[in-house]
Amino acid sequence: MHESVVTTWMMTAGAWQAKTWAELASDALSQNIWLTVAYIAGGLIGSMTAVTILGLALIYAERKIAGHFQCRLGPMRVGPHGIFQTLADVVKLLMKEDIIPDRADKAMHLLAPFLAMGATMLVIAVIPYSPLLQLVDLNIGVLYVTAISGFGVMGILLGGWSSNNKWSLLGAMRSGAQIISYEVSATLALMVVVLFAGTLSLRGIVESQMDGWWIWRAHGVGIVAFIIYLIASTAEINRTPFDIPEGESELTGGFHTEYSGMRFSFFFLAEFLNMFVVGAMAATLFLGGWMPFHLGGWEGFNNVMGLIPPIVWFYGKVFFIIFVIMWFRWTFPRLRVDQLMRLEWKVLLPIGFVNLLAASVLVLTNLYFFPGN
Amino acid sequence: MGAVDFSKVRLEQRTLAGVKIPVAVVPRIKKQSYLEKILIALKGLMKGMRLTFGYLIHPSRIVTQQYPENRATLKFPERYRANLKLIYDENGYHLCGGCKMCEKACPNASIKVLNRKGPVTGKLELDRYIWRMDSCTFCNLCVMACPSDALQMTHQFENAVYDRRLLIYNLNRYAGPPAEAMAKLDEEARKQAMEPRDVYGGPVPLNGEPLPNIPPIVIAGEEKAASETPPSTEGPAA
Repeated sequence: MHESVVTTWMMTAGAWQAKTWAELASDALSQNIWLTVAYIAGGLIGSMTAVTILGLALIYAERKIAGHFQCRLGPMRVGPHGIFQTLADVVKLLMKEDIIPDRADKAMHLLAPFLAMGATMLVIAVIPYSPLLQLVDLNIGVLYVTAISGFGVMGILLGGWSSNNKWSLLGAMRSGAQIISYEVSATLALMVVVLFAGTLSLRGIVESQMDGWWIWRAHGVGIVAFIIYLIASTAEINRTPFDIPEGESELTGGFHTEYSGMRFSFFFLAEFLNMFVVGAMAATLFLGGWMPFHLGGWEGFNNVMGLIPPIVWFYGKVFFIIFVIMWFRWTFPRLRVDQLMRLEWKVLLPIGFVNLLAASVLVLTNLYFFPGN
Repeated sequence: MGAVDFSKVRLEQRTLAGVKIPVAVVPRIKKQSYLEKILIALKGLMKGMRLTFGYLIHPSRIVTQQYPENRATLKFPERYRANLKLIYDENGYHLCGGCKMCEKACPNASIKVLNRKGPVTGKLELDRYIWRMDSCTFCNLCVMACPSDALQMTHQFENAVYDRRLLIYNLNRYAGPPAEAMAKLDEEARKQAMEPRDVYGGPVPLNGEPLPNIPPIVIAGEEKAASETPPSTEGPAA
């Protein structure tokens, strides 16, 4: 059946290279230590380049999509359809003076943006982009991602605290409250998939979806978990309608009020990369990662789908999720703090628990679609 | 939270303390269950998302115009208001009788209507219609106040100049009677009745200095102020 196509390319992948970057590096250790160093340096440089390009592309996409959502055009002047606008802005941000407020906690003020950015970079390392491309595969991948993305809020908290500005502090505290609340729901939603897949490793979860994506294979609880994850993670990455830590109208920029130039752009980039991380996690856990879209019994259709390279599948799914998150941003108004808390503790959390309970019953009774093995 | 069903609102007559009073009876707000509330909220959110998605997939709804490039094909909204203009009829005569209603209607005194005694008709007629674009808010009150519909807000909005004094316009092309009075005169008298006025013929404010290329103007009774007095700091000469 359709399984044949997937196995074919998993076999070709195996013949080619089915190892993660970290495994390659550790294998090289037995031959030559400099090869290992080269692998590590290559991985670092490669992921940094990818992150920069991704950030530029996402910011451009956001501006364009925002424009069209609001009957505007978005950037149009720098380059054809404004494609170099973000690049020009990066140059501007690099040239700007980096101001540290008077009596600010200097060390923390300087450190905060890098913490925010570093957390995101650490998550990007474990995402399986394609069967051939993954930097590290951890056997506790899901746990690692939830833990590290919670670490990113440390940067925001530090930035707000060290700025010596009450708006910044308020924004940072709101951000802390928000991430404590919504992390619970997001993790509960991820737990559903972990229950079904029976593994925490991200690569393992992708491979468990060979027979169908968990979003519909998990018999209804999958789609509920997906929606909860989408809402909760939008809140976690502080995007509108949950952008109360920034809240331009009430906090004049929130935690990054006092940041300028390079450091501001780090916060900004981290925000956009977090969006990518959320998209990648949603795609990996619910939409089958790099697995192509297959319909049971439709051999020809499945073959055609199998021809599309897995990395295209992965990025297609991620950008779909990112588009939805942007769509949220340009449609919904911002929530008040109390509304935000009510949504989490009174709506998302109870539904999440019930959903998790239902999922465990389904798993125990083996009652899900196309149990392949 | 719950929605009021306004289609079920009834109007009733009730007697309160012996007086009949019409009362609108609103039905009780139906209590919604937890899931009902969530579903209603989701429905509302979906509605909003559908609207914005509609904007995204219909580029024809974009209102932004790429201005300098599309100068020739610029689209203006129906009630767009820019520079004020005196309307001229097909013979080139304005319709202004000099009644000063626009001057009184103007909330920030941007309009000054100067009249003179007509050399041909012997009656008061428009001499200069001075419009200070620099202090105009384009509120349209002058156009609405005009009893003879002689004014109009045009679509001309490119007003950049290097000197503020160039923003004070003289709107009438000639000093003389309006079209209505012109109709009663013969060909020769019409020509005599009209005295040409140019755009920058108004009393120039600020310090009253003449501008290069624009000759100082002389207004009856104010010759001294316009020609020889040193720059005064008292404001507009008009």
